[in-house]
Formats: sequence, structure tokens, C-alpha cells
Amino acid sequence: MRTAPSWTELSWPELSRGAGDLGALFAFRRHGLADSSRRRLRASGLVCVALTVSAIVVPAYLRSALSSDRVGHLVAVMPSFYLGFGVLAIMASVTSGGGRELVPRDEAVAFPVSSVTEHLAALLLAPLNVAWVIQAWAILGATSYVFGPHALAATVVPVLLWIVLATAIGQVVGWTFEGLRRGRHGLLVTRSLSAASFAGVAVLVLDDHLTTVLDHSPTVSVYLASLAGQTGHWARWAISLAVLLALIALAVLAGLVPARWALHRPLRDELRLEGERHEPVANPRSDLAAMLRLDRASIWRSVPLRRGLLVLAMMPGAVALAGNLEWRLITILPGLVASGGALLFGVNAWCLDGRGALWRDSLPVAPGLAYAAKVIVLFEVLLAAAGLTIVLAAVRAGLPDRAELAAVLGATVVVSAQVVAACLGWSVRSPYAVDLRSARATPAPPVVMAGYSARLAVVTTVTGLLFSATSLAPGPGPAILLAIPLLCWSGWRLARTAAAWSEPAVRSRVIAVVAS
Amino acid sequence: MGSPEAEDGVRISVRGLRVRFGAVEAVRGIDLVAYAGRGTALLGRNGAGKSTTMRVLAGVIPPTEGEVQVDGIDVASAPLSVKRITGYCPDVGGLVPRATPWEHLQLAARLRRLDAWELRAQDLLERFDLAAAAHRVTGGFSHGMGRRFSVVLAAFGEPGILLLDEPFDGVDPLGVEATQQVIADAKARGAAVLVSTHLRDLAMEACEDVLVLRGGAAVAALDAADLVGEEGARAYRALLD
Repeated sequence: MRTAPSWTELSWPELSRGAGDLGALFAFRRHGLADSSRRRLRASGLVCVALTVSAIVVPAYLRSALSSDRVGHLVAVMPSFYLGFGVLAIMASVTSGGGRELVPRDEAVAFPVSSVTEHLAALLLAPLNVAWVIQAWAILGATSYVFGPHALAATVVPVLLWIVLATAIGQVVGWTFEGLRRGRHGLLVTRSLSAASFAGVAVLVLDDHLTTVLDHSPTVSVYLASLAGQTGHWARWAISLAVLLALIALAVLAGLVPARWALHRPLRDELRLEGERHEPVANPRSDLAAMLRLDRASIWRSVPLRRGLLVLAMMPGAVALAGNLEWRLITILPGLVASGGALLFGVNAWCLDGRGALWRDSLPVAPGLAYAAKVIVLFEVLLAAAGLTIVLAAVRAGLPDRAELAAVLGATVVVSAQVVAACLGWSVRSPYAVDLRSARATPAPPVVMAGYSARLAVVTTVTGLLFSATSLAPGPGPAILLAIPLLCWSGWRLARTAAAWSEPAVRSRVIAVVAS
Repeated sequence: MGSPEAEDGVRISVRGLRVRFGAVEAVRGIDLVAYAGRGTALLGRNGAGKSTTMRVLAGVIPPTEGEVQVDGIDVASAPLSVKRITGYCPDVGGLVPRATPWEHLQLAARLRRLDAWELRAQDLLERFDLAAAAHRVTGGFSHGMGRRFSVVLAAFGEPGILLLDEPFDGVDPLGVEATQQVIADAKARGAAVLVSTHLRDLAMEACEDVLVLRGGAAVAALDAADLVGEEGARAYRALLD
């Protein structure tokens, strides 16, 4: 039976009520935090604000110290930088099924949470993503570097508004994409759209038309608004700000429509997977193989994990293809992929078992073997995703010399080991009960995820840069010498977590939380 | 408690069990004995300590204090050995959401070293009306289906100790019948069966002995016959306050 669409959720009273409910949900989340977590959260917030102010102020005063040629080069690409942020906001929203959940679906089911609240919450949670934050700092820093310290606030405000606008537009596209995905032929439609988008960009790159298109980017107006602020053309500056503010309001309101549409549609892909028949395969030949089989099934039969891993493997590779990256820069990509892959489930590895964790732990298997299964399954997933990225990047990078090959392989293995070691530690210390069924679900609360992603990004980027330096050496020796101690360190961390996991009290706490 | 069998028929022996989670003491000094070929019901209100006691017996939670022996094996020092002889149906979920029942059974069979298990697994799935869903992921199961399959997993290896935590919760009459049959079969082959439930009538059908818990401690050990019918309901109600 078809039901008539109800548009009451899009009325002004509902909008006001939805915004009010948002406060209640934030309070609900806040009350669930321990005092120590609240203190850490406040400290992280202050650090974030301080870093944002630094990202704006410091580059402005660096300008005179550096070559003015660099400024000239930067001016030409500023609109593309801004556009890049918009693309990132869209990708983040699309890959997270429209945006993150403030309260997980199974917890929110008892409350009348409207699509208005869901949309506004997803919008507010969008910055809890290390890629978003770093890109935002990058465009703010580049802007202040280009314009210098004079009238700094006036030059930066348009960019700040663009960041908000791009995020709101990202939500509109993200919800629309999610709505399409939940349709009868959703997978076909969304995969076709994705393929067409990639093909379009590829054609522009191959035909050498990308620069021409970027020169006509609408973000040129954002740059001109900043310029108007710096040169004292206040009327033009004020009009630009008013337009940006109006567009923000419009985009936020426009997002309500696809949000409501998407959230009211059934989760077809997830339901299909749950109803699908999985033909039995031969009995496993060892205990470890049996454990791994269940963990692999838990990953590849989860819609968000499958989709996330695919995007993670493809996106950096596609960027490397488009940007024609050299081998010495490709060493940074495995870190990006490994960090992203870990954030899909690795930071809370036992959440793969969900409520079955209690049953699995009641089986007669040594704790060390159960731990090894989680280590292996996470390691192989990260290596596979990073491997695909490197293969894509290699298409235009040509054949590497021995030092470059050692650097890329070393970076891949080392960052994967670092990420696995960090993730298993977090999984044992801070488990969470989550259901990874929905594309919007995360293995830990959004604020915690932001902390994890920042830490992983720093470690893996620094490691990638170190291996990048070794690629300039005449032979593979430096890369190997660098890899050995780093792998030993990760191995020691994994062994330390294994020792903690072998304690029945620790294990029972993890299992009880994950299975609750 | 009702007349026990010979002393060597003791399969579960618990003395002074205490379990603490931080500041919360979930179990405060429980004594319990369960015998081969008999069913023991653990009754009590929410938070009485039934599920925590079950988890300790399954080797999933270590006891904070007290002596817990399953078939003469100390749970605290040899949980893996205890897991080999117990079959456990947890009170919540108990199923890996993206694995099929058959995959659960394959893992259990492998780790419990069961040979030629397929026919028994098929038989159990059919008895619990789950054969048609054997190759679908359990995440799509209804609550009752999940409970039924958790009982199948617990009973599958024909364990010497069968621990069923809320096995009847949300289960339809045919599922209840199949569960009662599984309990009867286990007792017939000499297993000790522990059933934790809020459904007193079903527990009395399945068990001979009863332990009533309140606030983490045992308040009464009775014959199942003492808690049957209207009079039994009144007696049970009185023990809960």
C-alpha cells in the first residue's frame, strides 16, 4: 500500500521543534560521558580552536618571510582549493550515508527524532572528521598567506562562510545520494552516477581541460570577496557576505527535503543482504581459519564497511591518478588508506561480533587465538585497500626504482602495523556497543572518532613523509632500516595489548560492553 | 532443595560466589549445587544476579571471590577447560549479526572438535523450525528466532553442562516445546541443566530444583514442586519482596 507523503516535518513549527530536540540529544550524549571524557573533550575543543586561530594568523605573518613568487602561484589555485573543500564535504556526506548519527539508530528508536533533527545533527557533526578539519585549516591558512596580515578578519570571513556553505551543500548532495541508494534500483543508479562522475573527471584530465574548468569555478567569487575585504571595497564585500549567508540558509533548509525523503525510505541494500542466502562452504581446516571466516563475513556483509573500504581504496588512487603523483609522494597514500580503513571498524574491533561476542567468548578457544584473528583480519583489509591504491597510483607514476619501491612497500607495511596496533589497543581499552548495519553508523561516538582519526592521521602522515625521504636514497637500505624499528615498536604494542586481552577481567569487560 | 543424587553426581558446585563490576556488586555470596541428570532453575527479579552467575559458569566472567567448580574444574583457573564442557545460551543476542546459522555451527563444531556434526545440526535446526533460515545472516532474525537458535548453539555439542539464560523469552509455543525437549534430552544423557528465566511455570516444567535469587544473593533453595500452581505463585511472590 502506498502512503501519501507527509510534509508536516517540513513546517516552521517542526523546524523549531527539531532544533530544540537537537539540544536535548546533545545533552543526552553529553550525560553519557564520564567526567574524564568531558575534560578531554573540553581540552580537545580548546586545542582545536587554538589551532584554527593559528592556522589563520600564523601564515599571514609568514608571507613577508617567504618568496612572493609562491604567493603568485597560490593566488591562481585558491578557487580550486576552495572547490576541493566542497568536493571533500560532498564525499564525506555521501560516504557516510547522508551524515553521522548523533544518537545511534537502535538507541534513538524510543524517541520521536524527526528528520529535521537528524539533518541538523549531521550538519553539526560534519566537522568531526579529520579530513574536513585539515582541509578547512589548509584553505584558511592559504587564504591568510595569500592576503597577508592587513584586514585579516575581512579576508578570512568569506572563506569561513564558504566552509559552512560547502558543508551544507555536501549534506544536500549526501542525503540525495542516500535517498537514491535506498530506491528500488538504488545501487545501479548510484554506481552509475559515481562511475559517470569519475569518467567525467578522467576525461577532463586526459583532455587537459581540467584547468579551464577550474578557472570557471564558482568559488572564484569567494576569493574575490576576500580580495574586496582586503582592498577596502566594503560594499562589494558586504554584498558577497550577504549572498553567502543567504546561500547557507537556503542550503540548510534545502537539505531538509532530501533528508526527510532519504530517511523515510527503507534500507533496501541492508535488507537485501540480510535476506540473501549465503551458500555454505567447506568446513574450516583450523581454529584460526574458522575464526577468520566469521570475521571476514562480518566485514564484507556490512554495507557501510564494504562501501567504505571500496571508497578508501579507490579515492586516494584516483587522486594520485589525476594528480600524476610521483613515487616519493605515493608513500603518503597508504597512511591515508590505513587510517580511514581503521576508522570503519578497527578502532572497536570486537564490534564485528556485535551481540554475538558473548557467545563467541563462551567457545573453547584460547584468548590469544581470538586476538590473533582480529589482528590478521584488520591487517589484511588495510593491506588490500592500500595495495589497490598503490596499483592505481602506479598507472601514471611509471616503474619505481629500488629505493622508491622499498619506500612504498615499507610505508604500506609499517603504517598498517601502526594502525592495527593502535586500533587493537583502543578496542581493548575503550569498547563500544554498536550496530554497524546502517551506513551512518560509526564504531565509536563521533567525538571519539574525531580524536582517533586525528591521532592516526598524525602518526601515519609523519611515517609516510619519513619513507618519502628514504625514496630519495640511492638504494633500498634506508627504507628497510627505518621499517625495522617501527615494526618492532608496533609488534611490542600488539604484544602488550594481547597480554591485557588475556586477562579474564579485561576480556569480560570488553565482551560485556560490545554485546550489550 | 530436593533429594540430590549421590555426591559424585555433582556437576556444578558454587560456594560464596561474589562478582563485582567496579563499585557494583552484582553477585553477593551465592552457593549453588547442580546435579547430573537434573535441571536447576535460577529465578529472581531483574538484577538479581542470575545472568552474571550464568556467565561465570560459562567461563565468560571471572569470579571476584568464591569457589566455582564445573565438573571438578575450577572456573577461575581453567576457564578454557570449562568452556569445553559447557553449552551456553546468553541472555542477550548471542549471535554474530552478519554470519549465518550454519557458519555459527561450523565455528562451534570446529572449536569443540565435533566430527560428523552436520546431521545433528540439521536435525536441531528442523526441530526449532530454523532449517529454512540456515543460510541467512542472523541480523535479519526476529527476537524469537534468535533465541531459538541460541538454544540450538548451546545444545549442539551435547555438553555435560547446559546453561540456558532466558531461553523462553519471546519464543513461540513450538519453540518452547522444542526447548523443553532439548532440556529433557540433556538431562536424560546425564547433563546438568541450569535455566534462568522469569517464566516460572516453564521453569517448573523443565527443572527439579530451584534457587531463588534476590539482590545478588540466594534467598531460597526449593523443590520445583513447591513453586507449582497458584500456591507456588504466592510463595514465589513472597520470596521476591
